Formats: sequence, structure tokens, C-alpha cells
Amino acid sequence: MQKPVLLIGILALTVFGLSIVRTYISNQVATSGVMLGQIQEQIDAYKMQNVLLSVNLYTKSSLTNIAEEASKEGFVEQTTGFVLSGQVPVAYKQ
Amino acid sequence: MTWRYRFVFLGLVFLFLLVVAKLFYWQVVKAQELSLLGQEQYGTTTTIMPQRGEIRTSDGFPIAANKVSYLVFANPKEIKNKDEVSTILASTLQIDIASVSADLALDKFWVPIKSGVDTKIKQNLEKMNLPGVGFDNQYQRFYPEASMAAQLLGFVGKDSAGNNKGYFGLEGFYDRLLSGKQGLAVEVNDAFGRPILAEMNQSTGVTDGANLIISINRSIQFLVEQKIKDGVEQYGATSGMVGIMDPKTGAILAMAVYPNFDPRDYQDYSDDLYKNPFISDLYEPGSTFKPLVMSAAMNAKLVTPDTKCNICTGPVSVSGYQLETWDNKYFPNTNMVDVIQHSDNTGMVFVAQKLGVDGMINYLGKFGIGDNTGIDLQGEVSASLKPKNEWYAVDLATTGFGQGISVTPIELLDATAAIANDGVRMQPQVVAAVEDADGNTTKITPKVLDTPISPGTAKVMAQIMVNAVNKGEASWARLKGYSVAGKTGTASIPVSGHYDPNQTIASFVGFAPSDNPKFAMLVILNRPTASIYGADTAAPIFFDIAKSLFSYYRIPPEGN
Repeated sequence: MQKPVLLIGILALTVFGLSIVRTYISNQVATSGVMLGQIQEQIDAYKMQNVLLSVNLYTKSSLTNIAEEASKEGFVEQTTGFVLSGQVPVAYKQ
Repeated sequence: MTWRYRFVFLGLVFLFLLVVAKLFYWQVVKAQELSLLGQEQYGTTTTIMPQRGEIRTSDGFPIAANKVSYLVFANPKEIKNKDEVSTILASTLQIDIASVSADLALDKFWVPIKSGVDTKIKQNLEKMNLPGVGFDNQYQRFYPEASMAAQLLGFVGKDSAGNNKGYFGLEGFYDRLLSGKQGLAVEVNDAFGRPILAEMNQSTGVTDGANLIISINRSIQFLVEQKIKDGVEQYGATSGMVGIMDPKTGAILAMAVYPNFDPRDYQDYSDDLYKNPFISDLYEPGSTFKPLVMSAAMNAKLVTPDTKCNICTGPVSVSGYQLETWDNKYFPNTNMVDVIQHSDNTGMVFVAQKLGVDGMINYLGKFGIGDNTGIDLQGEVSASLKPKNEWYAVDLATTGFGQGISVTPIELLDATAAIANDGVRMQPQVVAAVEDADGNTTKITPKVLDTPISPGTAKVMAQIMVNAVNKGEASWARLKGYSVAGKTGTASIPVSGHYDPNQTIASFVGFAPSDNPKFAMLVILNRPTASIYGADTAAPIFFDIAKSLFSYYRIPPEGN
């Protein structure tokens, strides 16, 4: 019986090649955890900043705050008002 | 030989099945638990707290949101000059120095100093660069509008396990929905404690809380808060409240109570202020109840607007009790329109007697009196109607004018809104939609609870109430040019078995515009001292708010 030398050779080369690739990739990603940790920290910092800015925005745009600021500026509640209940023409045809 | 062969074969099959079953148990049933157990051995597992959902008003503004605060902690073993650090921490965090010193004297690696510290204070401490002092982020409930709608919102406190928990109002009612679901995060580390790429931050099961979009209109709520505060102070009342709803959908547009509390610092206020009296306090509604009884009798065709009262010549005696009008004025042969206009108690005794106990119980039930309305707020109560065999003649008579029966303000508002909505009673609802953590929105459809009266009866009753506003005792406060249906109420307060003549609950209930109502509103003042009457106190607040609402909704006056 003839030995499948070629096939065995290809398989051996494949195993060897994949081992090299695996070693290379493992080597490459081994320190990625540090980088990912930094990225995660950055994301958390942005998220935190977002929350802090949102809180600031909500506080500034609350009606309670706006009314308080308006009062400080001297604005007062409008007590008189009028309503145009009928249709008044802006021009008359002569 | 054959049976031996079969016996062995079946025995092997049985053993094989046992192995399969056990494998199924470990690999499927207990898979998650075992997986976590394994991960814990080569990583760190932490509980991920979901972010609590926001509560947003109808304009999308988060009236309840989350903010970041900090837990200041210390490692006593790293602090050399403990006296100096104690002094700095105590003065910056405004806590007792003895407590800080005691914490720093402990033989521990980690001691909490103070939680809920805000960003500015944290930044100040960071600048000092104190050794052994650190910070942990915490999410805390934040209410940008401070005390606005406090009783409606409720607040977030802690449960017995120290976790956040909503109490009262929306925070309490929707606590599970707002809370979300806790998850676990596993970070797998290498020998140096650095995170490993493929296994970074595996988190399981965490779901942020859903956001609630409520029907409360922030502008109206703000306005109403101001008006009721001013009203309580002006009329010397002990408290006051206002509820406004859309009668066509049951959506609550505003609900304000004064005095209120700041949910951010709820612990600084009396417990009595936490509950929402609009849904949790029972009171005798007095004359504001009359439109319900009158419309019931009209719907049952027992009276018409032209029916003459034949017992209204003077005080009415029922079972030995003498029932009088509020002002001791009597109108012989008065019709039903005038009975409401004059708020005539004897006229309402006449109507109640026509209705009878069966009719009264039946119609009050349809109006929702004696039952919870089902409003989506924690803390709603109701007083059940007495069983038929416990109704005495005098009970029937006094119920006609709203005494001897207890309701919550939300019950009365909802029942009156049914008159505004062609006789259809809607379920009061605060939440209009729910937005889940993925951004999917589910709208909540309005729910019809009952149809106590026909559309025709509702229209007639609305006109009778418009007449009461235009010609009744509160006509001085009315808005000219606007068709407002309403009724004043001055209810005596039962104290130790009798009614206190000097202490009342003054109220005004109504809706507008009467032909196509945009809102139904109930104003209540508790024990006003400037005047005990609803016409002098609650009515002007009602019309003051109504005036602003007409302007807000751009409803012009009718005619010139």
C-alpha cells in the first residue's frame, strides 16, 4: 500500500502554519487587554460626563429655575390680556 | 439465553439514560450557575445595578432623572496623619468629626465615610490629594423641578437590603418597571490582573429600567402649583390641592398639593406630606356631589329640569333630624335648575328621595363612588358604600347633598368628568406611554370604566351647571364670555360625632368649555379661615386657573 506522503506533508505543514499564526495572534492580542481597559475607562468617563452635563442641562432648563431667574431679572406675571374674538379685516374695500 | 440477553441490554439502556439525564441536569439545567461559578474562579464578578428609568412629562422633560453622586471611602491603613484627615473630611463633607475619627481608627482596608456626595465636593477633595481616600460612583435620583408634583411622583428610598426602592406615587406604583433588572458582570483577568481580550466584560441579565412618559403637562402643573400655593396662603387654609384631567381620555394633566415636599430630601420632611391626599384622603364632598345625584335622577327619568320641589318650603325633617339649607333661605316650588343654582339642600333631599336607596346605590356605583378609580398611583383608597340594609332614611337624604358619604378627590373628579364626557366615565391615568430600555414605546390606551348616564342627560346636566356658575353664589368669580360648568362645595368636617360649623372643606368642581370640554378640574381648600365657603375661596382659584388654561389652549371667549 502506497503511503499518502503528500497528504501527510500538507497536513503537517498546515498544523505548523496554524501554530505559527496562533502564536503570532496570541502575541499580538496579549497586551490588548490593557488597551481595552483604557478604552473602557474612556467610555466610562464620557458616560459620566454625559450624565453630569445632562443634570446641568435639566437643572438650567427646569421651569422652577427659569421662573426664579426671570423673577431676579424683574419679570412679572402678566395680569392683563386681551383676546381678538371677532375677525377684524385689515383693509376695507372702497 | 434470550431473556438474559434482553435483561442485560435493558439494564445498559437504563444506565445510559441515567447518564444522559444527569448530563442534561448539569449541562442545561445548572449550566448558567456552574458557568458563573467557574468564571468566579478566574475572574471577578460584580453586580451591575441597572439605571433607574426616567419619568418624563408630556413635553419630554425628565421630571425624575438620575444623577451621579459619590461614595467617599477611606483605607485607614494608608492614612498616616489620621487627625488631620479626619478634620478635613469632617469639614468638607459636613459630618461629625468624631464619627470620621472612629471610622479611620478601625483596623480595616475599606470604610465608607459618606454617600451621596455631589461632584463639586468630590472635586474639592480630589484637589487635596488625601492619601487613602477614594471615591465610588453612585447613581442617585434627581428631580430637576424640585418639589413640583412631589406627591404625584413619590420618591426613591432604600429597602431593607439597602437597594433603591420607589415609594408613593409613580415611583411606588411603577417601581418594578422603573427599577429594571440587576445583572452580573464577569471580568476575566490574567495573572497580572489585567483584563483578557476575549472575555472582557461579560455581563448577563442586566436590563435598565423603563422610562415613563406621563400625561402631566409641565406648564400647567407649574401654573397650578403656584396658584394653589397662593390660594392656601391667601385664604388661610391648612392645605390645598388641585387636580385637572382630560375628561375624554382620563389623562391627568396636573395634580398639585400644597404644602408639598422636595423628593430629593424627602427625609427632611414630615411623613404626613408623602402621601397624595388627592387619592389617599377621604372627605365629605358636600355640594360638589349634587350634580352626580341630580344627573342620576334625571337619567332615571325621576325628575326633569322643570320638576317642582314640593318639600322646599322650609327645613325638611327626616327620621327626627332637621335638614336645612346652607343659608337658611328657602324657595318653595323651586325647579331642579334652581336647586343646583341655589345649592338647595332641601331640593336635593327631594331628588334623593325620588331616587331611592336602590337607585342611589346603583348610580353612585356607576359613577365609581365607593371604588378605587384604578389610577396608576400608589396609595389610592376608597370607602365602600354601605350595604343596602344599613341605609337609613336620613342617610339617603344627606347623601343627596354630599354629606354622610366619603369620597376621595380623584373619585369626585372622575365622576364629574363623566358628565363632561357625554356620560362616559374614563379611568384616570397618569402614564401615557412606557419606553423600554431598547427604545420601544408602548402607548397606554384610554380605558372606559362605565357609562353612568346618557349623553342627553350629560348635556342637560352640563347646562344646569353652567347656569349655576353664571347665576349661583360663585358668579362673581366667573369668566365672562366662557361657558364653564361648575359647582361649589362647602362641606362640614365631622369631628367627634358632630359637624364643626367653623371648619369646612371648600371646593369647586367643574369643566370647560361646557360644550366640548378640554379639561375637568377640582380645587379643594382644607379649613380656609378667610371664608368658610367654597364660593369665596376655591371658586376664584378655579377660575384663575381656568383663565390661564383658556389662554394656554388658545380658546377664545364666545361672542364679543
